[in-house]
Amino acid sequence: MITLKEGNLRIPRWNRKVFAVAGGLTNYKKFCPEMKLEEQVMVAFRQMLENNDLKLSPVEIKGLVNFLACGEFADHFQDQLLCEAKVTDYLGLDPIYDIGIKTGGATGGSTVLTAAMAVASGYADVALAVGWERMSEVDTRTGNYYIANAACKDFETRLSRIYAAYYAPMAVRFAWAYNLSEETRAKVAVKNHLYAYYSPYSQQPGKYTIQDVLNSPMSTYPLRFLECCAMTDGAACMLLCDEETAYKLTDKPCELFIAGGSHTLRVADRRDMEIPLLPHETADMYKGLRKKEGQRWPGFESFAASRFAAYFAYRMAGITNPLEELDLVELHDAFTISDIQTYGDIGLRPYGQEPDYIESGDAYFDGKCPSNLSGGLIGTMHAVGATGIFQGIECLWQIQGKYDKFHGDPKIWESFGKRKPEDWKSLQVPNAKQALWVSHAGVGSHVTVGILKKAF
Amino acid sequence: MASKGKITKYTGKPAKVLQSEPAIVIEWPRSLAHRHTYGKLSPFFKGLTEGRLLATRCANPECGEHRLWLPPRADCPDCNQPMTWEELPQPVIGTVHTYARVEYAGAGIELTTPYFQVDVELPGVCTIFKGYLQYGTLEIGMKVKACFRTEDPTNTILDIYWIPVVNDADARF
Repeated sequence: MITLKEGNLRIPRWNRKVFAVAGGLTNYKKFCPEMKLEEQVMVAFRQMLENNDLKLSPVEIKGLVNFLACGEFADHFQDQLLCEAKVTDYLGLDPIYDIGIKTGGATGGSTVLTAAMAVASGYADVALAVGWERMSEVDTRTGNYYIANAACKDFETRLSRIYAAYYAPMAVRFAWAYNLSEETRAKVAVKNHLYAYYSPYSQQPGKYTIQDVLNSPMSTYPLRFLECCAMTDGAACMLLCDEETAYKLTDKPCELFIAGGSHTLRVADRRDMEIPLLPHETADMYKGLRKKEGQRWPGFESFAASRFAAYFAYRMAGITNPLEELDLVELHDAFTISDIQTYGDIGLRPYGQEPDYIESGDAYFDGKCPSNLSGGLIGTMHAVGATGIFQGIECLWQIQGKYDKFHGDPKIWESFGKRKPEDWKSLQVPNAKQALWVSHAGVGSHVTVGILKKAF
Repeated sequence: MASKGKITKYTGKPAKVLQSEPAIVIEWPRSLAHRHTYGKLSPFFKGLTEGRLLATRCANPECGEHRLWLPPRADCPDCNQPMTWEELPQPVIGTVHTYARVEYAGAGIELTTPYFQVDVELPGVCTIFKGYLQYGTLEIGMKVKACFRTEDPTNTILDIYWIPVVNDADARF
């Protein structure tokens, strides 16, 4: 039994405030032969330095950076050890120290967390969180096998060699335990492919119907291809600073809080445990939760790592009721089911009522707390090492009121060889002040929850 | 000065050019064999080839967890003390906790698709054990029986598989 003690539950505390000021993305696609890895990172780096209305020149800003956190999921994909050195050199940041960060699908979030810790501790005034992945180095099935190495190699990997097969049992169990329909799952896919339609960065935009999703080929039952993210080539970077530098660089800084949680690699090993409660929850809410035979928490239905990360992040940021206080969220929708499971973990709904977040309309653009307006992983990208940075940047731009600037400018579409759709619409959340993003690995082995707060 | 007999020769195989526009993309073949130890879990994998399912239990009387672990662990995660081996009585009958039907598997899959992957609850075991079904279909709550690939073993986790228990005769050893 995992019993959490006082020390385990100590709320993380920055020694000084940390701010996010700028971000940069790339054109996310399945296969990007026209650029090498470091050349793609340069695209994101230039966008971050040149297009975020920063008050110093790119060269001056580079002169302020004194730490890099570099996210990369798998050496298997890059087939190049110490990519960090190549990237730092290519960006012209030598000999600033760069640390490689690796926590599976949560790599991007962990990269931001590491850069934030550097600023919070005083190691750096300005830190760069940069991440990438080149998954096209191998064909898709080989890529599936590589990713399945993030299941237990002795007891799980050989049983499918594809990650959808480790989420599918969770989908089956969740549907049985909490009454989730295939249609609700399909709605998540429809929503996120649609939001990707408005993003120039997106890899899998599309106007699909629920029926299209349900008719798409099966990956592992019950998960269909349109419910799954794809392999991506791409990069992202985010600039973090201390308070003084933040206001020197931008008129629109956002204060950053971020924390993480980890849990067993194998879902099977997750013994029943007490649910760490979020600020708005009470133990009474969960008295009837384990009513069906064999039920346990987090079991196959939920993620203790996400809950633990949210437990910390909400208290760091002073959030007492997430659904009421957050203006938007970016969740890790690698699969429709992982997205839905997370609604309970981060308290958008009580455990057992997760599907209602979609069914109520709260999750949509004009809803109470829209999710994945970026298109998420299903619609826009999962260049793994970059993903948790991309999600944070989309939150940052929303709070800065720059959704249109970064998604609606025809020049951005054209620079990626795309045309802005005639029926493009703005997904700018009016007057967004607080946003949250979840960066998630494995079947919930590592999760970070980041929160950005308007500080202008 | 190097003699002519010591000219450095190219002994590789020229890289295949997969495409040359808009950039040159070459093929970079990889063929590797890793050496992987089952370490202290070796008795478990040996047991499968003998038709036995071995689990571990914490031997420390002060520890709070005294149920079996499957997958086994050599050391208890709660008290960090060594665990002891215990064989599950035959026939090994479990309850389906959840399942999935794999239709599209990754490179190197050793099972014919589609097939069912199954997560099994076992009496007295604190964890849930993942495997595959040899035939039939599954539902949550259904009973399944462990079978072993004792002839021509794979020496991997695929040496244990499950079959549905539909009547009492199926439950016999």
